[in-house]
Amino acid sequence: MQTQTKAEFTIFMRAYQDMVFSTAARLAGNDAQAEDIAQEVFIRAYEHFDDLRTSVTAGGWLKTVTTNLSINYLNRYRKRWRFFSEMRGAADEGDADAPELEWEVPDSILAELSAEQRCAIVEAALRQLPEHQRLPLVLFHFEELSYQEIAIKLNVSLTKIKTDIRRARAALLPMLQNGCGARDTLDG
Amino acid sequence: MSERPESEQKLEKLMSQTLRGLAPRRAPGTLEARVIDELQRRAALPWWHVGFARWPAAPRAAFVVVCAALIAATILGGASALVGMRSLNEAAALPLSLLHPILTVFSSAGGIAALLVRVIPPLWLYGALGFGIVLYVALFGLGAAAYRMLYRPSSAGDL
Repeated sequence: MQTQTKAEFTIFMRAYQDMVFSTAARLAGNDAQAEDIAQEVFIRAYEHFDDLRTSVTAGGWLKTVTTNLSINYLNRYRKRWRFFSEMRGAADEGDADAPELEWEVPDSILAELSAEQRCAIVEAALRQLPEHQRLPLVLFHFEELSYQEIAIKLNVSLTKIKTDIRRARAALLPMLQNGCGARDTLDG
Repeated sequence: MSERPESEQKLEKLMSQTLRGLAPRRAPGTLEARVIDELQRRAALPWWHVGFARWPAAPRAAFVVVCAALIAATILGGASALVGMRSLNEAAALPLSLLHPILTVFSSAGGIAALLVRVIPPLWLYGALGFGIVLYVALFGLGAAAYRMLYRPSSAGDL
């Protein structure tokens, strides 16, 4: 690794590492896994560094690679346990038109907190969601993919994606309203 | 499909406002050093430890030539073996005589199995089969229950 290239790549990495790590951490729900994924993303970036160093779409490329690697990483472990962990999957698929859940949706949440506090509470709440809800929710709300794109990416039916995202939002709301125990982390 | 209730639409909008406005998290300070170390480790690997696409040109060319030669040798060898097969009929008696003891062992084992099936009452056989299936299912169920209790991440968000 040449000194000049190393210096340039380090600058490149510093510019994007927070975005890459955040994306991986939100998708994986685990910081250690997110660091592994981020490392792999930057190693791939280094292999394409000649193109990326001058590209205006480097951020988009990194985000796509991070998302795909995170999904692959999660799938690798999920496949081993799919039979057990998704026994209810088939039963869950048909309830997109289930009766309306009882929500009292406020106009805003966490508005009174600082950006850092908001971030900590949301991250803690996301980690508490089961993987099959967190993944589509993050892809929809953070990565701004459509339901259809998420269904294709995760190889899951459109109905199940909509149901999982709806449930994830419903589960997330009380967690965010109550601080979901993350306030303890902040106080600690 | 029925239109989504107003509360759902409001919740989607609220989540979008709350989540999209979040700043990215700070990456761990160790990430940069980890990446550089891993890149240097990979750069130090000898060429035969990395993927074919990253081999130097000379070994790549040599590999292709060797592979092509092996394929050609296999095809030519197979063709000449077919041609020479007729003349080898006489020599086939030798391998068959070597196979004889193995065939005897298998036929004896088959005979013993058939004898047991005749001697043991069918009810016992079905019972043993059923018992085996019950044990298998119980083990599978225990495994699933243990996984759900001990391993599966919290599903606090399930409704």
